[in-house]
Amino acid sequence: MTETDARLIRCFSAVFPSLSGEEIEAASLETVSGWDSLATVRLVAVLEEEFGLQIDLGEWQELSSFASIRHYLQKRSVAQ
Amino acid sequence: MRLLDALELLKRPVPEELQPLRVYLACSFTPLHLQTFLAAHLRSLLPDRRIDIKIGVYGDLAGNLGGLVPSDFDILAVVLEWPDLDLRLGIRNLGGWRAKDMPDIMETVDRRLSQLGRSSKLLSSSLPVVICLPGVPLPPLFFTRTQQGATHELQLRNALTSFALAVSREPGVRIVNPQSLDELSPAGERFDLRSEVMTGFPYTMAHASSVAELLAVLIHNSAPKKGLITDLDDTLWAGILGEVGVDGLAWSMDQHAHLHGVYQQFLASLASAGVLIGVASKNDPALVEKAFARKDLHLSREDIFPFEVHWNRKSGSVQRILETWNIGSDAVVFIDDSPMEVAEVKAVFPDMECVVFPQSDYPALWKMLRRLRDLFGRSVVTAEDELRLRSIRDAGVLRGLSADAPDSLDEFLSLAEAKIHFTFGKRPLDPRALELINKTSQFNLNGVRFSESAWMNHLKDPAAFLVLVNYEDKFGPLGKIAVITGKADIQRLFVDAWVMSCRAFSRRIEHQCLKYLFKKFAAEEIVFDFRETPRNGPLQEFFRKWSNGPLSGNIHISGAAFRANAPSLYHRVEEEVLD
Repeated sequence: MTETDARLIRCFSAVFPSLSGEEIEAASLETVSGWDSLATVRLVAVLEEEFGLQIDLGEWQELSSFASIRHYLQKRSVAQ
Repeated sequence: MRLLDALELLKRPVPEELQPLRVYLACSFTPLHLQTFLAAHLRSLLPDRRIDIKIGVYGDLAGNLGGLVPSDFDILAVVLEWPDLDLRLGIRNLGGWRAKDMPDIMETVDRRLSQLGRSSKLLSSSLPVVICLPGVPLPPLFFTRTQQGATHELQLRNALTSFALAVSREPGVRIVNPQSLDELSPAGERFDLRSEVMTGFPYTMAHASSVAELLAVLIHNSAPKKGLITDLDDTLWAGILGEVGVDGLAWSMDQHAHLHGVYQQFLASLASAGVLIGVASKNDPALVEKAFARKDLHLSREDIFPFEVHWNRKSGSVQRILETWNIGSDAVVFIDDSPMEVAEVKAVFPDMECVVFPQSDYPALWKMLRRLRDLFGRSVVTAEDELRLRSIRDAGVLRGLSADAPDSLDEFLSLAEAKIHFTFGKRPLDPRALELINKTSQFNLNGVRFSESAWMNHLKDPAAFLVLVNYEDKFGPLGKIAVITGKADIQRLFVDAWVMSCRAFSRRIEHQCLKYLFKKFAAEEIVFDFRETPRNGPLQEFFRKWSNGPLSGNIHISGAAFRANAPSLYHRVEEEVLD
């Protein structure tokens, strides 16, 4: 597991405290019942804070699963 | 605190049995992360409570306050922002920033503030209200440069200050100090335009955390410390008395000892607000006596009691001062310039706040004074606060009389010209009653403490009665020193809470209280909801006079038993009935 993955898991765990480590890695808008618009706002805020990013509103729809967020962070060249 | 830290703190499991703290967070913007930060800060401050925060409808502060059911909550936190006063003072509405709009904006602001003032006043009679005034910068809607204070902007701030001033006078209202917010959160780093436009949340994360932190402190409203014990040499004054003599002691600017003068002035300020000040100094008592005769000291001898001046251990001095004051070590701060003395006292009293006096470290002294103000801070100074020190001095004399010769106590009391004034009724509610119940430990029926909202709810019961007891004698007033509350039925009286300040011991006030209750309610019996606590020994001693068996559960005292065993009472009794 990379350091970025560990930090991302920490962010997910804070926003979705009921998910286990395995569930986090498989998490998506469809599979997590508590992933509503409020959770998205909270997740984006935590990601921005943790990774020092500014995520535009237009990019939010990309952030619909753990895997897609990991891909997004790689794309934004977040330090490993 | 970062948002991630706040969320992780809130993830920790909370035992179901913890008493909830029900907070209503009223603001017209989306509270989002402010709610998270508030829950996290409250959880840090109150680990023994389950934090439950409810919010209102977006964009309708007045409606949310109007529809609030006070009994559903323990406290109300109101976070105001400029658009609450007029939507044109925000950036989410495009109602016009023309110069000609300004008078109308001012009119709306005045109207809204007046409405908010009425709501705050009304709600604060049922539950405590904490208010945070607008903190984000006003948008650039005025025609002056941003560096120049526009007349309309100053008018706006003036209206807001007038509102804050008026509501701060209400006993149940606490206003977040704008200066504290300025220190925690620089004005230029508070507003997040992107977040405001995208999500309706106007704060940066750092500002949201700062607002939440200050709200949490005022919601918690911790009990202030009661006493401060100070060293003398190189603390209250600069110089070692035994070496430089009385005239060599310094605390002025021209002697480069101004910080000691500031410290003296600060202690005098605490003393005037009812904080007990004691001295623990390794010194020659005769020299200290002479030093306190100096007229230029900013703290007088009368502000201090007792003096422990000798060459023995400081912890022994502190122990004797605590016994004289009759308070616990956790309610006291000890200050000394010697780290060794501070360590010695701390080792004996681990729960005492012990501080090394920063002799020539200006920033450290400033920090210490602010910390002390926070530890001793209170919303109001009552008449009882001003009387405390003198009555503790007198209590020492009375305790001696009572223990040594019962006859001399009778003689003393018969000549004391004592007057007891009973105030019967619940409205207007005197905040002193709750203060006494929540801080009195020794003469306390059961140790039960009330939150502000629980107290208000208790008194709302039509069957509940409240008696506040005021005492004075020829030596001066003690003020309001006892509270009794409970419920009455046809023959019996049930007392739920009964406390009396330790300053009022040895005056038979407790006997006069029982006499009053029997007469007032024509009761044949009084039932006390007694519980033994680690500290209510004086009350247990009192009850043993009327009960032969072990003290546990409800204690019943009949009118006949009281009349047969009551000692002589010499007080003149007065009564005032409210409502």
